[in-house]
Amino acid sequence: MKTIFKTKLNTATIVLIPACIGINYLGKLFASLLKLPLWLDSIGTCIGACLGGPIIGAICGAANNLIYGLTTGDNITLIYALTSLGIGFVVGILARLGFMTSFPKALICACGGGIAAVVISTPLNILFWGGTTGNFWGDALFAATQAAGMPVAVGSLLDELVVDVPDKLLTLIIVYLILKGLPKKLTALYDANAKIERLD
Amino acid sequence: MKSISLYVDRGSWLNRLHPYTKLLYILTAIGIPLIGGKLWLFPFLIGCSLCLLISAKTLRQTLPLIGFSFTVIIVIFLIQGLFNHQNQQLLFSVGFLRFYKEGILYATRIGCNILNMLLSFAVFILTTSPQELVDELEKSGFSPKFGYIINSVFQILPQMMATKDTIMDAQRSRGLETEGNLMVRMKAFLPLISPVVMSALTNTRERSIALEVRGFGRKQKKTWLSDRPKHKEDRVIRVILIVLILATVVWRILSCR
Repeated sequence: MKTIFKTKLNTATIVLIPACIGINYLGKLFASLLKLPLWLDSIGTCIGACLGGPIIGAICGAANNLIYGLTTGDNITLIYALTSLGIGFVVGILARLGFMTSFPKALICACGGGIAAVVISTPLNILFWGGTTGNFWGDALFAATQAAGMPVAVGSLLDELVVDVPDKLLTLIIVYLILKGLPKKLTALYDANAKIERLD
Repeated sequence: MKSISLYVDRGSWLNRLHPYTKLLYILTAIGIPLIGGKLWLFPFLIGCSLCLLISAKTLRQTLPLIGFSFTVIIVIFLIQGLFNHQNQQLLFSVGFLRFYKEGILYATRIGCNILNMLLSFAVFILTTSPQELVDELEKSGFSPKFGYIINSVFQILPQMMATKDTIMDAQRSRGLETEGNLMVRMKAFLPLISPVVMSALTNTRERSIALEVRGFGRKQKKTWLSDRPKHKEDRVIRVILIVLILATVVWRILSCR
């Protein structure tokens, strides 16, 4: 249990957080430049979570939405700070449990992150938007479920599910590929279980 | 280099106000309609925020924000007006689309809430520099490490944007297709983002060493380069805002009887 939540809050991890927040922003930017129907705005959060553990992941996620919400005027993201926090936390735990070591396992990790996002976002969506998410495909599905007379909660859940799970799947595939390419001397900086060997 | 912050210094009285006072205003503007529970409170507070934005000469910067939220609000109106479960009374119909009164009312409430939140935040965002906010947070006992995180995001982002442009050009010149059908665009995503991410992550190592050398990890209390002049308005406005919130709570309790 202890090793899962073990966090090194040294300079290296503090510097990692703004880098991850920047990566989140870039992911979102590239997704909109390439006109992809997904958000892809949690790549940095997931990288932070995989390298630094669940606590750093959660801080990355929450700080990401708080900073953008309070400075770029996109204050819709402010509400979803909770979602990002949840994604970072769950992905961090799964990564520490060894779910980022191989490709199939990374997919399970992605599903975990996606479900965390769905579970936290759905009540927020219902509370603030009456169930919609702001993504075209998801909202079309929501409209269809409402026309079919399903409860708002079910419609909103499906709405989130179709958008968030594929989004997190793609995100974590990218994260997995990136992390595999990182040099060992960099990842060693964030390894909480690393021990310094003394030669004297 | 373009900053991502929307802050503009117009030298207005809102610029001089303490960030906390403006945060309290956000709380008041969002809290009053929720506590009061009446629909007419929304337009009232939206009007208040608009007046503040005009007085700070930042209305022009606000318009794109409103424009962005309008699409969301229109979608909500469509979905709720057409399919809300409480829909009974027909309000009007366009072709085969029937809009109902209950759904439209519900959508109005949500739409007003969104606009109200957006504008009250705009009052804060457009008139407060991130640097000032961080300084004030640190002065009231916030960890300087978290202050660094916020400040550093603003330094890193313009750098990353520059790298992004370089990499987009480089990959295109190697023949990477960034336009076309969905599959082509999906495939282009990884070759575009991974070099930026890699360089950002490898930079963190150097950055952390540089910071460590300059005593970033020291526990001693830090001093500030600039002192913030105190204003009398801050206290007056804070008292007014708190009185307003309390008055709404009392009014709500009395009207429940």
